[in-house]
Amino acid sequence: MDNQEIYRRLQDVFDAVFMEPVVVTPTLTAKEVEEWDSLIHVSLVLAVESEFGVRFRVGEVESAKNVGDLVDLIAKRCAA
Amino acid sequence: MSRSSIKSACSQRRVHKLLVEPETSGLAADNSLEMTYCATLSAEQVKRSFIEHDPAFEPSLRSSTAGCVEFSQALLLNNIRRRALRDGRLTEPGKALRLAVVGGCTLSPLADLIEHFASVLADVSIELWKGEFDNYVSEILDEGSELFEFKPDLVLLLPSVHRCRYSGPASAAREEQLGVADGVASEILGLCDRINRTSKAQVVLANFPLPSHHDPGPLRNTSLTSDYAFRRYVNTQLGFRAPEYVHLCDVEFLANRLGTIAAEDPKAWFESKQPYSAGLLVQAAKEVGQILAGLTRPTKKVVVLDLDNTLWGGVIGDDGLEGIEIGTTSARGEAFRAFQQYLLELAGRGILLGVCSKNDHANAVEPFLKHPEMVLKLSDIVNFKANWEPKADNIREMASELNLGLDSFVFVDDNPAEIEVVRQFVPEVTCICLGDDPSTFVRALADSRLFEVRKMTAEDFERAELYRTEAKRQELKSTATDMDAYLSSLEMVAEVSPFSKLDVPRIAQLINKSNQFNLTTRRRTEAEVLAMIEDPEVDGFTIRLADRFGNHGLIAVVIGQFAENDYVVDTWLMSCRVLKRQVEQVTLNQIVESARRLGSERVIGVYKPTVKNAMVAGLYEKLGFSRLRESAEETTYELRVDTYQPSETRIRVELVSNG
Repeated sequence: MDNQEIYRRLQDVFDAVFMEPVVVTPTLTAKEVEEWDSLIHVSLVLAVESEFGVRFRVGEVESAKNVGDLVDLIAKRCAA
Repeated sequence: MSRSSIKSACSQRRVHKLLVEPETSGLAADNSLEMTYCATLSAEQVKRSFIEHDPAFEPSLRSSTAGCVEFSQALLLNNIRRRALRDGRLTEPGKALRLAVVGGCTLSPLADLIEHFASVLADVSIELWKGEFDNYVSEILDEGSELFEFKPDLVLLLPSVHRCRYSGPASAAREEQLGVADGVASEILGLCDRINRTSKAQVVLANFPLPSHHDPGPLRNTSLTSDYAFRRYVNTQLGFRAPEYVHLCDVEFLANRLGTIAAEDPKAWFESKQPYSAGLLVQAAKEVGQILAGLTRPTKKVVVLDLDNTLWGGVIGDDGLEGIEIGTTSARGEAFRAFQQYLLELAGRGILLGVCSKNDHANAVEPFLKHPEMVLKLSDIVNFKANWEPKADNIREMASELNLGLDSFVFVDDNPAEIEVVRQFVPEVTCICLGDDPSTFVRALADSRLFEVRKMTAEDFERAELYRTEAKRQELKSTATDMDAYLSSLEMVAEVSPFSKLDVPRIAQLINKSNQFNLTTRRRTEAEVLAMIEDPEVDGFTIRLADRFGNHGLIAVVIGQFAENDYVVDTWLMSCRVLKRQVEQVTLNQIVESARRLGSERVIGVYKPTVKNAMVAGLYEKLGFSRLRESAEETTYELRVDTYQPSETRIRVELVSNG
């Protein structure tokens, strides 16, 4: 799966999780989105795993600084 | 009629069409978690209908929510619902309920999903209060806590699984282990009691999912020192001891149904203290929605059944009594029989059975009256409508005759077109479209969640007491080690019947398939068997066996030929599943009885050895025959009719005559 495809599907996940539209970009962080609190974050991670059929390792998502890191992580796990 | 309501009526029809489109009608895949009785729309389709301002949005949200199993889909549906509420496209359900969720784990997103399922499945608008992570004990014990300030109507309690385990030495005495486990259950029930006494709130109590890991192997169920055995024991205690105000959310069952590996997510626990995997979160949230629906909605009282291809395979009007598929002759026939058995169980729980079929009445009742393999009898059907009027009219009439509301009716049919008509013209009735595979019919009803027993009444308990006495009696019997006591305890009934046209397929099937308990292994076609019915030189009879555990169906076949003064046993075979039940003796009694009735002096038995029938090599001698002659191909035996003493058996014999 190429990154473009991942961004497209990640946008679907964001659309499912957030009430207000959030445009997925590589530099996007949780701080920039009002709704993105710790609770939404849990849903988001579970939804990403379910959408891409991947399992992150424990602690992995915490270390992602922005959406770009998350996409790299998804790509890594999809390839594995 | 306003423009918008006309539009809405049209769209309503469009949804209906969508739901029963022939290629998508019937049930979702057999192995899927949800067996929805109409095609389920994906959350994405619902989203599209929301964005496009399709007036069919609301019903599509309902159907999609009912069929939803994926976490991300549930999340999206919840989000769409919240947006629709915000935009005024949906209105909050009229019924409101204050729900507090407390427990030993993170309560989000579980609580949010519950809000969604409660709103859509139970038409209940939830006002939510969430406790702090693992703070439930103090929240419950402190009467002035925020929990009680919230004044909940209902409290969902998810006790910590980490406090549900045995921490003592594995060598501890059994009593000690049981004491600890009973203590855990008492503590949890004590918290439920506090909730109820402090706030009058009812409690939904989540029990514990079982662990999926193999450790400690074969010792898992030998003591309570394994998490598996401990949790299971505590779950059982919670179930046995739950007072009336406690409604169990059976997470153990939900996790098993999903598969314990799929139900667990240790990472989600370490990262954010989630109690379950994403998949189990959806199931648990939906279950709470169902519990709420059960508490707030009237129960179903009547199942209205179609006949052709619903209760039996084929069309009685075209195929006739001999042509329909019902009973143990074929796999399909067995599936229909199992479905009837399930319906009979529903009737036993107090659900009324009605029939609504497009048939001539005389044809429609015939199988109930004459077919020996039918489980349902005419007396099991409280209202029988077989005519050519539309089913919607028939169901309305039935409701007024039974004096019951249409919303307590469930209509069951294999034909999507009939389902569509009833849906449109009697929308109060819940419809289940069975599809074309009878092996899925039981599941379609059993997973519809429409017939669940919600509360035990005083009468139920009385009945339960009766059952318990009966169970004790049976226990005594089953502890008796001798064969005779065992056989009496089975309460067997054998039905002896001359060959009948209806039984010909099953007789031919046994003749052509039985290898082991088969004295001569002579194969015959259905046509040959049919011809025997009219042949005065032939005495053919069958035996059916039932016991207190159920009906074994037609299990033995005998063909006797009259030759001068002898009754020659041409064929004697029996299904091996009733071996050593004294059916052999009953059969011989019947053979001698036929021989005597027709004036034969001897019964001649023949054993033809094959590779597979060594089992019956000594049968005739064991039953008192004497050997006449022996060759490589066959051994011939004789039995004098006048000196034969019928064997005493523990089987009650009923003779059926063919009229």
